[in-house]
Amino acid sequence: MESRTTWRWNPVEGEYESGDPPAMQGTGEISAIEALSNKTIFLLGGTGFVGKVFLALILDRFPELKHLVIQARRKKNVSGEQRFYSEVLTSPPLQPIIHRAGGERVIRQKVQVVEGDLDQPLCGISPEDLERLKGKVDIVVNLAGVVDFDPPVNESVEPNVYGTQHIIELVQLLNAKLVHVSTAYVAGKKNGRISEDTAIPGYFPRRDEPGNNGMREEFSVAEELKWYEQFVEETRSTRATNPRPVRERLRAGGMNRAEHWGWTNTYTYTKSMGEQLIAATPGLAYAIVRPAIVESSLRFPFPGWNEGFTTSAPLVLMGGEGVKGWPVRKDGPLEIIPVDLVAAGILIVTAAVLCGKNKRVYHLASADENPIMLPRLVAFLGMNSRYKHKHKTSGSKLANAWKAYVETQVITVESLQARRARLHRGLDVIHATLTLGKTILGARKIDPYLKSLRDTRRQIRQQEITLDKFLPFMFHNSFIFETRNIQETARMLTNEDLKRIRWDPQTIDWADYWVNIHTKGIEKWIRPVFTASRHK
Amino acid sequence: MADALMAKAAFYDLDGTLLSCNLVTMHAYYARNDRSLLKSIYQFTKVLLSVPLLFGLDLYSRSLFNIFSFRAYRGMHRDRLIGLSDDLFEVTLKPSIFPKAQVLIDTTRDLGYRNVLVTGTLDFQIRPVALHFGFEEVICNRLEFKDHVATGRVLPPLLAEKEKAHSIRAYAGQEGIDLAQSCAFSDSSSDVPMLSAVGHPVATNPTRRLRRIALERNWPILELRENSSTFPPFLKTVKAL
Repeated sequence: MESRTTWRWNPVEGEYESGDPPAMQGTGEISAIEALSNKTIFLLGGTGFVGKVFLALILDRFPELKHLVIQARRKKNVSGEQRFYSEVLTSPPLQPIIHRAGGERVIRQKVQVVEGDLDQPLCGISPEDLERLKGKVDIVVNLAGVVDFDPPVNESVEPNVYGTQHIIELVQLLNAKLVHVSTAYVAGKKNGRISEDTAIPGYFPRRDEPGNNGMREEFSVAEELKWYEQFVEETRSTRATNPRPVRERLRAGGMNRAEHWGWTNTYTYTKSMGEQLIAATPGLAYAIVRPAIVESSLRFPFPGWNEGFTTSAPLVLMGGEGVKGWPVRKDGPLEIIPVDLVAAGILIVTAAVLCGKNKRVYHLASADENPIMLPRLVAFLGMNSRYKHKHKTSGSKLANAWKAYVETQVITVESLQARRARLHRGLDVIHATLTLGKTILGARKIDPYLKSLRDTRRQIRQQEITLDKFLPFMFHNSFIFETRNIQETARMLTNEDLKRIRWDPQTIDWADYWVNIHTKGIEKWIRPVFTASRHK
Repeated sequence: MADALMAKAAFYDLDGTLLSCNLVTMHAYYARNDRSLLKSIYQFTKVLLSVPLLFGLDLYSRSLFNIFSFRAYRGMHRDRLIGLSDDLFEVTLKPSIFPKAQVLIDTTRDLGYRNVLVTGTLDFQIRPVALHFGFEEVICNRLEFKDHVATGRVLPPLLAEKEKAHSIRAYAGQEGIDLAQSCAFSDSSSDVPMLSAVGHPVATNPTRRLRRIALERNWPILELRENSSTFPPFLKTVKAL
């Protein structure tokens, strides 16, 4: 739906402006079209959420690109190539692009799929494929990695640290350049403006604080990997004597180690180590791209595309279920960025690296130019809950009315803990009453209620775990990632490039985005998957 | 020959034409759905008290009626206006859609008209309506905001009466639309300038005053409230061709 008007919303000022938007003018120091013409990109992680949109963007906007080599992992009996054509090319973000490009036949002429595995040396690419690719790949774009916040430490270190080492070796063998996608949250537990200029090797968030013994600690990836190997070996060797499951101990070990150095979770800790390996490699031509929380697409390939649970989707789904108290900073933004802007940002950086005019680190985030403050998001969650529960036909009418008409609130963590304690005490009382009722009235009458109570407890526990994972980004810390580098590099493009790709988070109308694009995208693409997984 | 190739459009008013709601019922929804029960009661009482004045103003001038009714939004946050728009549609607007409205819109689209909604209603209220009916283009009013909060004023030009005619002429000029081949649908005599600007005006669920004008000018009259009503000949003739 197009609204015809001469008024333009200025999201930063919060008012309408008249007249045409200022034309985006590039200086032309970098031509993305020329940089990508007749070039070959090797893409790792093209099967993920960001990867698919990046793939769609480059296929759609830069037909000048010669070849795209895509690494895909074999899954059981399905080869990497089969997976790419049956799972990736048929996915919703790529379907319209393939159709526009002229069908799968055209894509097959441009795309070459190689099987590989990040956990293996040289990313597990066969010697024959390596021989074929030598000297032909201009740049490797790495979007691969594990993005779970707190998996068992080995499941994060293997792809995010050793996997990065394997990529470095591959890039060196192919004599190519590297664009490595990391996360803005490698900054760790920090507050305020986060610079893109902080030195990478030896970085850890607590480096300005004295250690336990009063001495300043030093961080080294090599030493850290020694700790890791020893920890994993010890944990596995005590399988017989320690009653706690190995997996749980590996998970807790990773989180504790991350906490020790000042990172928010295992994910950011291992991603930072991966960055440090790259930065410490002599002679490597590279750029590191650090997106903030990646969210539904703003425009491309269509508004609202979303996939997986690594975005704010769990929070939106929780909000839709009627959670009322949200522990967020009243004065803090949530650093979110639509996936299509991330894909555009990676493409801009890729062009800059190919031209040799890149910076080392690029934050891809929104708050530097156009912050969305957390209390506004809490209000949006409440309005979504109101809409859903007002029109809900199933469930208790009283509960639906409560969830519809009671507004969401911004609360403190202390208040959250107190609410949780009250809630669990209440559930304990109900449980005790039902247990007593079971002895009096018999199991047949009471068991369904006990089962329902168990399900409710499990759901509440799940919500608590999800919320706790997000606390570092919503309450404990308040980040604004500086984005000067991507702004400057985007301005260096030609006007023709700017017609194809844009870096413009300053234009995002957050109310329209959150209500009409993001929330609806999550309801359409994520909720069915979430509901199905919960019923398994 | 060039004229024959020019595009044509169907311009639709909304309130009273495609559905029975009006600006007051829409604002009453927001008043009823304020952040707390007390605020909702206070806001809704204000709306009720203003109804006689608004009724009188509408009889005198649609522009004045619009200006006064938009003042009621003063102090409301834009996030809330947008955030509740889907609920507004489900609760207030959708149940008031006239039975034959969708059929008419589909018919003009099938006959090659570009469907354009031209309404004094506000942009955030229009979105779900436009999506429901399948309108691709909308010309509507916008509130003025300062720091995301509504000032109660509307951004110029105020889309009502003669301004609707100006807007569709400007639109036709930009898009190469032949107004002589185009049609317009409205229920109100305040839209006579818009209806007069096209070759096929249709008085749709007309008020008494518009019905009189339509009869004087030999404009077709259409009742979307009744399932049995028939479309004007120019829609049927073109379809037959």
